[in-house]
Parts: sequence; structure tokens; C-alpha cells
Amino acid sequence: MDPAGIFATSFARDAALVRTRPQQIALALFLIFLLALPILFGPRLLAISTLILISSVIVLGLQVTTGYAGQINLGQAAFMGVGAYTTGFLATKLGFPFWLTIPLGGCSAAVFGFIFGLSAVRIKGFYLALTTIAAQALFHFFVLNLPWFGGSNGLTLDPASLFGFAFATDISIYYLCLAVAALMTFGAYGMVRGRYGRAFVAVRDDDVAAGIMGIDVVAIKATAFLVGAFYAGVGGGLWAYFVRFVAVDQFTLFNSIWFIAMIIVGGMGSITGALVGVVVIKCIQEAFVSLGPSVVSQFPSIGGDVVFSLMNVFLGSVIAAFLIFEPRGLMHRWNILKRSYRTWPFPY
Amino acid sequence: MKSRRFKWIAGAAAVAVVTLALPASAQTTYNIASIADFTGPYADIMKDLVGARRATVDWWNEEVGKGMGIKIGIKDFDGRYDAAQTASLWPGIKAELNPVAVLGVGGPDVAALQGRLPADKVPMLMSTAGYGFAWKGDPWIFNPRPTYGHEAAGFFEWFRSTRGIKGPLKVGIISSEASPAYVDIAKGAEKFAKDNPDKAEIVETIFTEVQPTDLTTQVGRLIRKGVQVIDIQTNTAAVVATKRALQALGKADIPIMMSSHNGLIASGKAVGGMKDLEGDYEVYGMAVPTEQKTKAHDFHQMVVAKYKSQATWSVASVMGYNQTLVALRAIEAAARKVGADKVTGEAVRTALLTTPISADQTFSILPNLTYTNEAPFPVKGLTVNVATIKDGKYVIAAENVPVPTIAKW
Repeated sequence: MDPAGIFATSFARDAALVRTRPQQIALALFLIFLLALPILFGPRLLAISTLILISSVIVLGLQVTTGYAGQINLGQAAFMGVGAYTTGFLATKLGFPFWLTIPLGGCSAAVFGFIFGLSAVRIKGFYLALTTIAAQALFHFFVLNLPWFGGSNGLTLDPASLFGFAFATDISIYYLCLAVAALMTFGAYGMVRGRYGRAFVAVRDDDVAAGIMGIDVVAIKATAFLVGAFYAGVGGGLWAYFVRFVAVDQFTLFNSIWFIAMIIVGGMGSITGALVGVVVIKCIQEAFVSLGPSVVSQFPSIGGDVVFSLMNVFLGSVIAAFLIFEPRGLMHRWNILKRSYRTWPFPY
Repeated sequence: MKSRRFKWIAGAAAVAVVTLALPASAQTTYNIASIADFTGPYADIMKDLVGARRATVDWWNEEVGKGMGIKIGIKDFDGRYDAAQTASLWPGIKAELNPVAVLGVGGPDVAALQGRLPADKVPMLMSTAGYGFAWKGDPWIFNPRPTYGHEAAGFFEWFRSTRGIKGPLKVGIISSEASPAYVDIAKGAEKFAKDNPDKAEIVETIFTEVQPTDLTTQVGRLIRKGVQVIDIQTNTAAVVATKRALQALGKADIPIMMSSHNGLIASGKAVGGMKDLEGDYEVYGMAVPTEQKTKAHDFHQMVVAKYKSQATWSVASVMGYNQTLVALRAIEAAARKVGADKVTGEAVRTALLTTPISADQTFSILPNLTYTNEAPFPVKGLTVNVATIKDGKYVIAAENVPVPTIAKW
């Protein structure tokens, strides 16, 4: 909903993502903040920010598959792993440059995701969730037993490089992740507001009605998985260049559940919500990591095991609380606040 | 007159300040980053592991460092046993501490930092056994113990000779594909058997779920193949399920061999009592924390009494002692080579690769260690210790059992 007095007088204006001057200013300030982040903050916060950017790309994909198209996906970490391994394989064994390995990593993950997307044609809900868990198990099995991925040895990568410049420092890898995340975010906004996005929402809300309206439900469900897995694969490629080592146990079901938690907290069916969810969950995790040792040293009688349990209990409670009290996530709450502000003092 | 007296007093005060400050300024402080797992799956053993690290640093500062003009600072960081977490922590650690060495917990720390440490020129010391997949030259990450495969092979040889077994020892391996580390552990033992068919034969490697509940069928198969010892270096759940299966099949006398992280004490608690593990074994290349009087135990008691260590005498504390002692002895050696005020991470690594660390230097917590550039762990001259449950008591069965050579797999 636009503020009072804002009318789209042209198609371009109507289709614009950023619709008002304050929005443009806010976006510009936010981008300046992101660009200046390495100067403003220390290396620790910079590394956290890099991880947030990588996770954002992966969670954006999950948002498309689950939040927009309504297809439950508990295999996003496996899709990420496929991207990371493909990137690692192409970089180490074939010597491909990073600007090729990352998109190809995304493509291979997309193919893997598409296969599971096909199963979504016939099944939904609980059964689809189980199928995507199978993706997780299959990924694990393939990586350990196929000869190209190093098996239990994993893959070690050199830093990404472009025209002789190596993205080997924390700052350079941050900017690489920022550039990719910005591109992927822009792409996600564009897609969900376009024809495919509307088809995703229609299928999510009622796939029978969507089919009657002329939407190719089979293709849309498979496409949702394809797109979501592509994002995960690109995120996996970034992860591979960030850590420079890829091993199968970096992509677990537990990670997939965290990704789901992020879209629940941020808000299902919102690109901004996905980004907010990543930031909130990562910040809570980092807060625990930073506070945990201090709590243990101040109160040794509590013990590290209690602190660990407390973290899981707290994060579990956050997710449960959101599901009970605000199932549409923080973005819904934000939109209510925004609307109230815009219509104040009138409730309509 | 007043002014002259004031000058005298001021001069004397300045001399006193400089004199008092001299010893302090002569002491150089270096930092060690202590990566722990306060909020991850191993949080319950961190009290001992981190306590042992801190106590060892306190002891070294007081009894070794002071004489050399070096003080070691140690700071804990919570890596949560998660590669992503360690990767996000590392840039901050480097900027904040500028450490000359890092103490790691496990595989995720290796995964997160193995690409970074050579560029940052900081060595990392682990406390666990090594892995085949990390067996690469030019290491920056060091294990004080050989691979789990080496440790198992040492046990196979000892067990075979102790029992007077003429042919190859028939070994069954119970592992899981849930973790690449578990797969690698099994591969190491398989490699030893493959290269030494007269010494060991792997009757079967069984890959089960990571936390198995019932292994009766699988263990029955091993029994039918004449298994003489079952090698489980994964976790306590696998030990419990195997023991229950052996009991159900009336073959509880077939011994199980465990490692440090799923050893007799931990598995005994899980299985319901130490008496159930009578005649079973644990093997690893570091001191066994029994109540028997050993040099290692004496060292532990000394740091508890003198440096108020909170660590109890356990496998976790032995792991904390082993990696910290190696780090400190390497710093010591580096300081002797380059000077007490010129120690860097690179110098510490060079010292590790060029200066053997004797068992005496580690209070027999570790055997003699000689690192080379060909592997992250010493590949020759290693020994392991074997512990067992005898008459319901946790005791050392054998010490300094030689580890056979295994080719890289």
C-alpha cells in the first residue's frame, strides 16, 4: 500500500520497486551503509556480515520455494551443498574461474532441486517434506561415494580471483558476497512481482483453482524448486570460496531447519522478510556465542551444557512463539505498523 | 635548597620507577586463541578441556615462561563445533589477539581454518587423532596423535601378540556414513589390514545409522564370520548397541575396542555400568586418565593443587593438556631459536617441524613427537596406550605400545 498522495501515473512507475522518494533515500543510505561496513566495523562483525549475506542468498531461494510457491522444502542445505561441491569441483579439478563456477554451481543445484520438484507434482505437505529430507540423505550418500568430490576428504579451494586479483581477504570476500547477494535479491524481487511470482502465489493458495485458471501447476511447482535450489547453489558456491574447504558435514538437515526458521521469523512470502529473518536469527546465534563463554566463566556452576541447551530452547521458543502469535513473521508486523502510521489517525 | 631536594627526590623516584618497570618490560606477551565448544554438542566436556588448557598455561607462565621473559595469554572463543561459526570468529580472533597459535576442538575448526591459516601464518594444534583426509604435506594444523587408523592398528598388533593369535586378527568395524570422519576412521583400519593380510583381516565394515539402537543382526553376522575384536571409534551409542547385541547373542566375551571420545568411561555410563564393559578396551596415543599413579596424573594433580585448576582427571582434560603442552613447548623452542621477543606464528610452526618434543616435556601425556613436513601428525616412532576394565575397575592394560606404519590412504 502506497502512502496517501502517491499515484502511479505510468506503467514504469507502477512497476517500480522503489516507489517514493523516502524509499529511495532509505535504500541509498542502506546501500552506503553496506558498502561502508568494512570501514565501520571490525573483522568479527565483517565475517558475521559475510555469513549473513551468504545465508541471505540461500534463504531467498527457500522463500521462493516455500514462502511464495508453498512447497515445503527441508533439503535446502543439500541444494546448497550441491552448489558448493560443484563450485569446488569445477574450480579445483577443471580450473574454472569463480564467475563461471558460482553460476554453474547454482545450475547443478537447480537440476538436483528440479528432480525433487517433480515429486511435488504428485505429493504435498508432510509427504513432500519427507521427500526433501531424502534429498539431504541422497546428497550425503552421493558425495561420499561418487569419485569426483573427494569423498570423506572434501575439496580444498584456492581463493576466487578476477584478472589476477584474489578475493583472499575478509574485506574482498565480503564485497564479492555483497555483489552476488544484491544481484540475487534484485532478481528475487523482480521474479516474485512478475508472472512467475503470481503463479507461485496462486499455486500456493489453491493449486486446483490455479490449474483451472490456466496455470501449468506441474511446471510452476517444479520451477519453484528449480529457482529455490539455484539460489541455494549460488549460496553454496559463495560458501565454498568463503571457507575454501567443502566437506559433506557442512550441509546438514539441521542447517535446513535453521533456514526454515529464518523465513518463519522474517515472514513467509516476503523477500524482505527472508532477509530480516536471516539477520534476526544470525544475530541471536551470535549473541549466544558471544555471551556463552562469559556466562560460563561468571557462573561456572551452570556449565556449558546448560548454556547450550538454553540456546536451543530459546531459539526453539522464538520459532514456536512466531508460529503461535505471529505466523506471518516480522514483516507482517512491520507492515501493520507502517499502515497504521500512514492512516493515522484514521483506522482505514 | 628546596628545589635541589625536589630534584633529588624526583630523580630517585624516576630511577625507582625505571628499575621496577624493567622486569615487566623485559617480558613479552604472546597470545593463544582457545577455540572451545560452549554452546555446541561437546559443551558438557568443555569445563575439563578448557580448564586443562588454562591450568597448563598458568603453570607454564609461572615455571617456564617467567625465566624466558615470555608470558602467554589465552582467550576462549566459542566455535560451537560449527565450521560456519569458526569461520566467522576467525577474522575477529586474528585482529583482536594476533595469536601465535590456536587450540582447536575438532573437524569443523579444521574445515573452517585450513584454507586460512597458511595465509595468516598461524599454526593450529588439535587434541584429537589425525585423519587420512587431512594427511597432507606442508601442514599448518597439527595433531599430537596419529590417525585413528594408526591407533587401531597399534591395538590390533598388541592384542594379537597378547592373545597369542597366530593368523591374522579377525576384526569387525562398526561405523557410520553420517560423518566423513567416521568413514575415514574405517578406511584407515582397512588400509592396515589390506597391506598386512598376515596381521589383520577386516571381516566386515558395517555402516549403520549414526546413533544405532539395535545391531543384533549385524553383530550376528560378524560373529558368524569369526570376529575376534570389534573396532568402534565412532560414538557411545554404537558401543551400547553392539554390547547389547553381543549380550543378546551370548558372545559378550568378544572385546570391543573404542577410542578416546567414546571410551570406556563414557560408554560405561551409557551402557549402564562399567561391569558391562569388562574386558573391553580403549586405545589412543595419549595418557589414560585412570586413578593409577603416572607422571601424567602427577602433573594433573600438581596443576590442580598449585594453580587451582577446575579440570577433573578425564579424557577431556588429557586432551586439553596435550594440545596446550605441544603449543607451549613449540613456543619455547621458537623463542630459543628466534629470540623471546621475536616469536611469531610462523616461527612456532617452524619450531614444531624442526624440534622434537620428548615425552618428558609433556609429562608422558604424549609419547615422543617428531613432526615432519609430510604430515600433520608424527608418522614414525609413535606409541599408544591401552586401557581396559578389569574386575570392574578402569585400569591401564598396556603402555607405549608401538604404532605400526600405515601407508597413506
